[in-house]
Amino acid sequence: MLSRSSSGTRWRVRPDGPDKVTGQLKYLTDMSAPDMLYGRVLRAAHPHAAIRSVRTERALALPGVEAVLTWKDVPGLNRFGIARADQPVFCEDRVRYTGDAVAAVAAATPEVAEYALQLIEVDYEPLRVLTEPEEALAEGAPQLHQDGNLLHRSEYRRGDADEAFGMCAHIVEATYRTPRQMHTYMETEGGLFVPGEEGRLTVYSPTQHGLMDRLQLSRILAVPPESIRVVSSPIGGSFGGKDELNVQPYGALLARVTGKPVKIHQSRMESVRAGLKRHPMTIHMKTGADASGRILAHQVRVLADTGPYATLGAEVLNFATEHAVGSYAFGAVDAVSISVFTNNGMSGEFRGFGGNQALFALEGQMDRLAEALSMDPWEFRRINLLPADGTGPFGQPISATGGALKVWNALGESRLWREREHLTESGNRPPWIQTGVGAAFVMHGAGLGYGIPDPSGGRLLLAQDGKVEVAFGFEECGQGLLATLEQMLVEMYGLDASDLRLVIGDTDAVPDSGSSTASRATSMMWQALKRMQKPFTERLLAAAAEAASVSVECLRIGNGGIYDIYTQKRVMTYQELAAAGKDPIRAETSFAYPVSPTARIGAHYLYSYAAVCVRIEVNRLTGRIRLLDQFHAVAAGPVMNPQGYLGQIEGGSGMALGFTLSEDAVMEEGIYKTGNLDTYLIPTAADLAGPVEVLPIEDLPEGDEHGPRGIGEIGSVGLAPAIAAAVRQATGIWLEKLPANPALLQDASFLGRKGETV
Amino acid sequence: MKSEKDRIRLKPWTCEINGGRVSLNISPSRRLLDILRDDLGMTGTKRSCDIGRCGACMVHMDGVPVNSCLVPAYQAEGRSVTTIEGIGRDGVHPVQQAFLEEGGFQCGYCTPGMIMTVIALLDEHPDPEPEQVEEALSGNLCRCTGYAAILRSVRRASERIIRERCGPGGKEDARI
Repeated sequence: MLSRSSSGTRWRVRPDGPDKVTGQLKYLTDMSAPDMLYGRVLRAAHPHAAIRSVRTERALALPGVEAVLTWKDVPGLNRFGIARADQPVFCEDRVRYTGDAVAAVAAATPEVAEYALQLIEVDYEPLRVLTEPEEALAEGAPQLHQDGNLLHRSEYRRGDADEAFGMCAHIVEATYRTPRQMHTYMETEGGLFVPGEEGRLTVYSPTQHGLMDRLQLSRILAVPPESIRVVSSPIGGSFGGKDELNVQPYGALLARVTGKPVKIHQSRMESVRAGLKRHPMTIHMKTGADASGRILAHQVRVLADTGPYATLGAEVLNFATEHAVGSYAFGAVDAVSISVFTNNGMSGEFRGFGGNQALFALEGQMDRLAEALSMDPWEFRRINLLPADGTGPFGQPISATGGALKVWNALGESRLWREREHLTESGNRPPWIQTGVGAAFVMHGAGLGYGIPDPSGGRLLLAQDGKVEVAFGFEECGQGLLATLEQMLVEMYGLDASDLRLVIGDTDAVPDSGSSTASRATSMMWQALKRMQKPFTERLLAAAAEAASVSVECLRIGNGGIYDIYTQKRVMTYQELAAAGKDPIRAETSFAYPVSPTARIGAHYLYSYAAVCVRIEVNRLTGRIRLLDQFHAVAAGPVMNPQGYLGQIEGGSGMALGFTLSEDAVMEEGIYKTGNLDTYLIPTAADLAGPVEVLPIEDLPEGDEHGPRGIGEIGSVGLAPAIAAAVRQATGIWLEKLPANPALLQDASFLGRKGETV
Repeated sequence: MKSEKDRIRLKPWTCEINGGRVSLNISPSRRLLDILRDDLGMTGTKRSCDIGRCGACMVHMDGVPVNSCLVPAYQAEGRSVTTIEGIGRDGVHPVQQAFLEEGGFQCGYCTPGMIMTVIALLDEHPDPEPEQVEEALSGNLCRCTGYAAILRSVRRASERIIRERCGPGGKEDARI
């Protein structure tokens, strides 16, 4: 099991740790500048309305107000969106959700800015609000976009499902519903926007991909990307939620118009209202097997509420379709997924990326079908795993790791799974406390997938001051990217942490590495360092050999400098080498995330696998579920950073607990009813005090070229179905709707018969 | 730019912050969180929910943990306030050290508030029962770690504090 003590010296103090535990670290929302203004955004008063007029005169006349902007003040493209630029910076004639921006203000104090918002007069004509995807698709529904209310359809078919269902001995059918989960990064959106000399603008604002923000902002401002510098790390949490632009367009426009630094830091209420959430999905599945337990047919229907604009809704849906098929060898598959525009909150990228919803449904089907067949649910999964390791959900070739079977075995042998058989005796528990053990098997693709440009790269440089400078265009969201980068350089290159300068999160200083998303950054850093190792080392040694007049064959790089391999003595320090060198010593690499040789858009090539087992108890009087014990077996290649790995699985699982039991950003008529953390309930320490065991399965087939696989998301996808299986064992109730809040199970407790569905 | 009326409402205010006397002219209703972050530039105390639910803005007032977003200036008048900047000035505090060693943080945004809560807990209960830890920490939300590493940090800090107090050369010879 992974722990500090089992990791020995590989368990390191994070380089960003001292500044974090002392409060010295300056987050970008902690920044300020002399004479800065405070920016605020006027959000739509209605979830769906036509704008008849916007009058800003009274706000502009307020003493202390320096700018009031509307769409008329956007010099470039009045739209943004990573995949499809359809979200207005400022709405022109129509608002489509209550987070839509209509105007923005810069003023001398936050109070004046707030008051100025109230003086902006907007005449609205309310329109019919589309609150359900079904409603949005119905005939006669108002069309939210020129191309209608359907954002995206994703289909996958294999064989003849109708015919295959006809041959099934057992068919199970269920409709699963998942909540509008909020990222709930502790640092809400914000930053400081500073105009500079010669039209330069520096944007200090968290994002997962500084260069993408720079590109999007350059379109909005109608300036060359190079005139904008985006400083984007450190970040107080993101989880996908800050990948898309949020307040940056407003800060940038206000700073340019006023010529002064502008600070924006959204309140939690505004963050809830305007920010992204996980797509609520309704997933209907019908799955059938023959009498021996072999699955013959699988039908999937996904309906996703994507909210008013695209962002990455189409990509999330593709991912959900892929993972609704997963790593099982279904005979025939018939999957149709659609993502629909509504006037609800924005849905978008969120850790797990559609896999969370799909796998909750898929694993639910596995348990239901195993039970219908009176088979052990774990054995049932094994006999239906894809037979040939190396085949993905769409039948596409994938990089084989053997991970699927390894995590399956590890869970079967785990202490927690073995406890499952002994739980039925109630022991000393009161009769209203019922316990259960459940398990789930999950896989998760990493990288952006086939058909989407997914470049990466990095750079090494021996700097003038003798530091080995390593630069990547990735971001420190909290995941420990800096710690992992440092550890890889120490372990792969033999350098000391004090030899290094880690450069990330600044578009003026970094190469394009792609986004810190899709569980890709660690894999890409490893790949880049591997590619650069030989050329960089050779260049260092050649320069050292020349400077010291020794043969290059006698030298190696190491901690603090260049060493003689025979005497093991240091020949020169990196400072001496840098001082002696005429030309800078550097290495750079750029390459693409590996993709499957397929034609299926979004299909992945590298997958991680996990098996999750939990023990829970259900209090039938209160309806409350408590998570007592967890086991996670994760097959994702070698562990680069034990502390980071453990943190990703524990943290991902904690987030999944909220998804399963308590979190739902409730909307009524397009308006959030859960406006802050008093009603939107994320897990607390009391909810997650039980043991967590994490077993990393590190070995890869001989000759594997891809190294560490992603672990940023896989910890967040398996817990919900495992808990659902445990609830079934404990109570006889099948969970179909998340979150499984106490009210649901409390109601059921009065009815509580086996076979009940809530 | 403040109007004349706003100026009139400003009142002299004094408070001891991290051992030093601070005197300001401010509105008595100004939040302690804003005084710390905006007036004094002490940004270690974080803003997150503004309603006392998340604990990111936790400070000690007369030794008791409070959410500084819920403390108006007049309530802090004449009191002694300790923020994260006041911790570990004579070397890293054992609680900070434990968080570093166990990795009890990720993004770090909840960490200052979390550490203030843990210090207050261990000041009162150097060897807390698990239930006491859970209760004490339940007002501090963390979204990254899933709390497991934080709970290990609390345990490690407790062990170190007890060892320092009771071990050979410790300040006290009996367990509190």
